[in-house]
Amino acid sequence: MARKFNIALSSRLSPFQKFYLLIIAGFILGPFIPLIIQSFAFRWAWPDLLPGTWWLEQRDRAMVPLAWDYVLSPYSRVWEATVNTVLIGSIVTVICLAICLPAARVLAREKFRGKSAFEFFLSLPLIVPEAAIGIALLMMFIRLGLAGSYVGIIIAHLIPTIPYMVRMLTAVYQGLGRDFEEQAMILGASRWQVLRLVTLPMLLPGVVAGALFTFLVSTNIFLLTFFLGQGQIVTLPTLLFSKIAGGTLDASAAGITLIVTLPGIILLIISERFIKEEAFGKGFGN
Amino acid sequence: MSVSSSIASRSGAQERMTARERRTRFWQMVQLVPIMAILVLLFGGALVLAILQSLGFAPWFGVNTFPDFSYFGALWGSSTFWVSLGLTLYYATVSTVIALILGILLALALVKTFPSKTFYKYLYKLPLMIPYTVGIALAVLMLSNGGMLSRLAAFFGLIDDPAQFPQILKTHYGWGIIAVYVWKQTPFITLAVYAVLLGIGRETEEAAAILGANRRTIFFRVTLPQILPGVVSSTLICFAFNVGAFEAPFILGGGFPDTLPVVAWRYFNDADYTLQLQGMATVVSIGLVAGVILFGYLAAYRRYERRMGRN
Repeated sequence: MARKFNIALSSRLSPFQKFYLLIIAGFILGPFIPLIIQSFAFRWAWPDLLPGTWWLEQRDRAMVPLAWDYVLSPYSRVWEATVNTVLIGSIVTVICLAICLPAARVLAREKFRGKSAFEFFLSLPLIVPEAAIGIALLMMFIRLGLAGSYVGIIIAHLIPTIPYMVRMLTAVYQGLGRDFEEQAMILGASRWQVLRLVTLPMLLPGVVAGALFTFLVSTNIFLLTFFLGQGQIVTLPTLLFSKIAGGTLDASAAGITLIVTLPGIILLIISERFIKEEAFGKGFGN
Repeated sequence: MSVSSSIASRSGAQERMTARERRTRFWQMVQLVPIMAILVLLFGGALVLAILQSLGFAPWFGVNTFPDFSYFGALWGSSTFWVSLGLTLYYATVSTVIALILGILLALALVKTFPSKTFYKYLYKLPLMIPYTVGIALAVLMLSNGGMLSRLAAFFGLIDDPAQFPQILKTHYGWGIIAVYVWKQTPFITLAVYAVLLGIGRETEEAAAILGANRRTIFFRVTLPQILPGVVSSTLICFAFNVGAFEAPFILGGGFPDTLPVVAWRYFNDADYTLQLQGMATVVSIGLVAGVILFGYLAAYRRYERRMGRN
């Protein structure tokens, strides 16, 4: 009995859990090892576990562009795609923040009729299939002349980013409480002073988290960019798609895959400090 | 000061209060307008246009037979549509269920204390941070007949020709597609469940253990009911995404008959632009199917919550 009790309560990992964590690490990280190798391979015939000829051995007499030379050259459009991705992501984040901050404040603090219906409406973009939104929006944007333009893509990116942003900012406002602002007002601060000296500094960590996450979602969007960009605007996900659409992965495609992974890794390292698991704990439309 | 005048001034103050209240209420609504406007215009506009077009309203192509149900009729009348629908739902469901099981197991491990915990808290979020196309590239590299798993099988002497490796990609079993979804969505579900686990703490589990419950009972009777909100919201999002996803089935799928989003995209890019109306009927069908399933799921969950006496 005592032994069973200990097992049930233990805060240590069971042997199965240790094994499971190793499997998960292999499942997530494992595929990146051959990916890195592939990007440096020159010839990699089938049963070999390592390339028969490495890129460096063939540097001087290569007829075709070698993987990293090609990836880093303007022909691959990697630089253009990176600039587009960052640009679109930043503008989307700023607009999203501007729209969601006031709404989140009201949602966190006020009660009004139809509030739960409104909250459900706000999370609707997450549960309507993206393909349906994408194609229907494309028809609308072709009529409006927005298809294949930055404006069109930025507007479309607002749809999947708004629900996350509103949710995260609402959580921030709920945690903030009203007391500090009221105290500042009682002490004679003006509305502007309250906003600048009290609200904003206290909101900042949460706002940074929301902004980072929105940027992340925007840079990962493939379908809306692909459908609405009409091939005229490449971002990192759509560039990679065009490289692997044939179902094969050569050395240059492996290089581009690694480049596309980089922003995510950078964001992961930055955001771990800001994005807290707790912000996602809220259920749906309850 | 007479009594009547004091009453009059008090009611005046009350009126001023309600006027101020009305003003703040008005300002609150104003703050909600931008978000509302964007979603209604984009969402509502797209929805109305899609439905109108799928019912034969497209004057810009010289087609206007509204209301005309022949596009839905032609679509729902063909057997390939139902095969496509079945494939779409099969990929979406299987990958969501696998990701859910893996995600819960991972979240339960992450609440424990262990030396490499910080490392794992970074690691498990990695797939969340990168596009699906990266996952697809990794699937091509690992799972294709000339890929790494096939090479490993040859290394251990299990096969001696790439053709002997079981075909995983480009079949209608869709294990390549499912692998990509699972790889990308297990972290998402883990995140949601882990967040709830952190929120509820361990007291209830401890109480159950003291009362003599074993680990299985604790999980199914104590932990699972408490993490259910996180489970439901994250699986809803994953399932809806999988139903509407395009890139993985397009690259890793088995070809004709394709999943519904790919079918819609093909109709839409056909040289015969009147097929766009058929494509719109497909799009509306995707929305309808997803809507019905998700609504049913939510309704079942609500009923469960009510039975548990939570709402």
